[in-house]
Amino acid sequence: MSVPVGHYQYDRIDRDFLRARIAEFEGQVKRRLDGTLSEDEFKPLRLMNGLYLQLHAYMLRVAIPYGILDSRQLRKLGEIAQRYDRDYGHFTTRQNIQFNWIRLEDTPDILRELAEVDMHAIQTSGNCIRNVTSDEYAGAAADELVDPRVHAEVLRQWSTLHPEFTFLPRKFKIAISGSPNDRVAARFHDIGILARPGEDGAPVFRIFVGGGLGRTPVIGEELFDGVREEHLLATLEAILRVYNAHGRRDNIYKARIKILVQAIGVEAYREAVEAELGQMELDRYRLTPEAVAAIRARFAVPLLEAPDDADAVLTQQRRDDPLFERWVRSNTHVHRDPGHIIATISLKPAGGIPGDATSAQIGRLADLADAYSFGEIRITHLQNVVLGHVRKDRLRDLWLGLSEVGLAEANIGLIGDIVACPGLDYCALANARSIPIAQKLGARFADTALQAEIGALRINISGCINACGHHHAGNIGLLGVDKRGEEFFQLTVGGRAENGAALGTILGAALPEDETVDAIARLVDCYLGLRESGETFLETLTRLGHEPFREAAYEAV
Amino acid sequence: MKRPVRLELGQKLVLTANRLLDGRTVWWREDGTWDLRIGQAVLLDADVAETALSRAVEEAQREGVVGVYDTAVLPVVPPEPVTVREKIRAHGPTVHPEFAVETAQ
Ligand code: HEM
Ligand code: SF4
Repeated sequence: MSVPVGHYQYDRIDRDFLRARIAEFEGQVKRRLDGTLSEDEFKPLRLMNGLYLQLHAYMLRVAIPYGILDSRQLRKLGEIAQRYDRDYGHFTTRQNIQFNWIRLEDTPDILRELAEVDMHAIQTSGNCIRNVTSDEYAGAAADELVDPRVHAEVLRQWSTLHPEFTFLPRKFKIAISGSPNDRVAARFHDIGILARPGEDGAPVFRIFVGGGLGRTPVIGEELFDGVREEHLLATLEAILRVYNAHGRRDNIYKARIKILVQAIGVEAYREAVEAELGQMELDRYRLTPEAVAAIRARFAVPLLEAPDDADAVLTQQRRDDPLFERWVRSNTHVHRDPGHIIATISLKPAGGIPGDATSAQIGRLADLADAYSFGEIRITHLQNVVLGHVRKDRLRDLWLGLSEVGLAEANIGLIGDIVACPGLDYCALANARSIPIAQKLGARFADTALQAEIGALRINISGCINACGHHHAGNIGLLGVDKRGEEFFQLTVGGRAENGAALGTILGAALPEDETVDAIARLVDCYLGLRESGETFLETLTRLGHEPFREAAYEAV
Repeated sequence: MKRPVRLELGQKLVLTANRLLDGRTVWWREDGTWDLRIGQAVLLDADVAETALSRAVEEAQREGVVGVYDTAVLPVVPPEPVTVREKIRAHGPTVHPEFAVETAQ
């Protein structure tokens, strides 16, 4: 078998471990079914294997390390959706996939099938270091300074089954980017890492700590800048140790690292980390250039060859076909190679469920990845899919192929590109349904010409305060609240996750579900009426403040 | 997750849980077994619900369910839960009408 492009090549050690782990879980499932294990005993064990119990069924969350898959793996996910679920999967903001209709009994078999393609569900839940997320354009974007996948893989190996960090006070999320344009929401993670080349060419890292959403949204603060590659693991280890020792375990709502950083201040945290580093055996944690090179060698690099006229062909096709032109404008990004381009495939069809894909679509995506992008696929933290290396002169063929399966929506970064959590249709913790609001908004703004006219505007919806839909980070955020068993939505505006990260602020009282979509439509109309030429929604909001938007949203209420 | 149940006039309680094998939502019948259809649920008054609940919790493993709790319904046919959450559990996700759960008696 040839080495897949894009992700790390596992070996026998990884595979033997996965097999043993599945056998262990199979035994646990058996003991649960025969009553030897109580639900209280079993729950943490199943969660360690990504298995939740939701409203209607078990949900299995499968890890997609730093969001990158090969076509063989994607095809397997489609097969699992078809065979063990109800023919679809849900891609999440943490670059994973969730299956919503899983049977406990089937889980060991599913895990075995996943293991056939080097996939698993380990550390997708529980109070451990979760799947490390990264830039969906990694290794492809023209604006990239350092390919973050190599260090994402270093972190994956370091954090997987790390014995010291299996029972942290709470879950722990790390994101890493190597571009000056933050595409990973670095400052909304427990640890956010931005890599750039240092003076000697080796990467150095800027590290933020204590960011997060949930019931206490916090923007991460810079802990260190210029951490050298050899000290990356020691530094992270020390940050985690301080958290593990001092993070609160008495109150689940105060257990995240952000609360500790807020409580003692980032200076005190830094001192504690430095003190820890001072007594650590640094040599043990040294990340040597050889170790990094060995990991880098297990990523196959795509051979980027394109005909000289690739760019010219694309330019002509864009001129000839306005629909294609619109898609290229919203759904592509500049590649480091002039003959190639990055294509983002929207999983947000107008009126559809954000992030859901049928097994047929998943299978087709795998075929298209084989045909157009070296068999490599990336899942984005905004619930879309990226083909990273498409030859410019073949982009239109890809687009036509996508159109055949309803995946050619031209709305990336626009109002239709809504992020939504599963909400009360599935989630046991929810207050309100997220998906129907997303569907109604998607249908309301279905016209992609209108979306292009409105311009950059991100809507994020969470069904409860846990904020899985990143509502605080949305330019417009919706939070579902429960008022005596009825669904209401609280509106926030002004959030953003990219450079200049900001938390949205509350616009006014929560609205009943059936008034929410109209209120947002009025808010958008208000923006269109007030914007100066070239202004985005956020820019108009910054210039004018909340008041006109508040008035518009609550006008009819 | 157990939410405090406040009964209003005319409301009754039913017991609900998830099936251990596949996680499906189930409702407690008079004979102590569990059914996918809320139409099969026994309607309880607050004064007897507590005893029923402890019995159902005790028998949960044998009956193959997890997470037993009570929830308020309107005593129509089939019973209609009071909260959106329990309505969705009874009828299935609103975003997939094709997965609607059979609720009748
Ligand atoms: C059964 C389904 C789910 C459950 C039970 C669940 C549970 C939670 C909880 C309890 C939190 C709050 C953690 C805290 O503040 O300490 C949280 C946060 C979060 N979840 Fe979920 N979640 C679910 C599904 C999802 C999905 C589908 C996504 C992605 C679309 C997701 C992504 C996130 C993210 C990004 C956060 C906020 C970031 C942060 O941890 O600060 N979750 N989730
Ligand atoms: S935000 Fe709340 S409702 Fe949405 S998935 Fe997370 S826990 Fe569930």
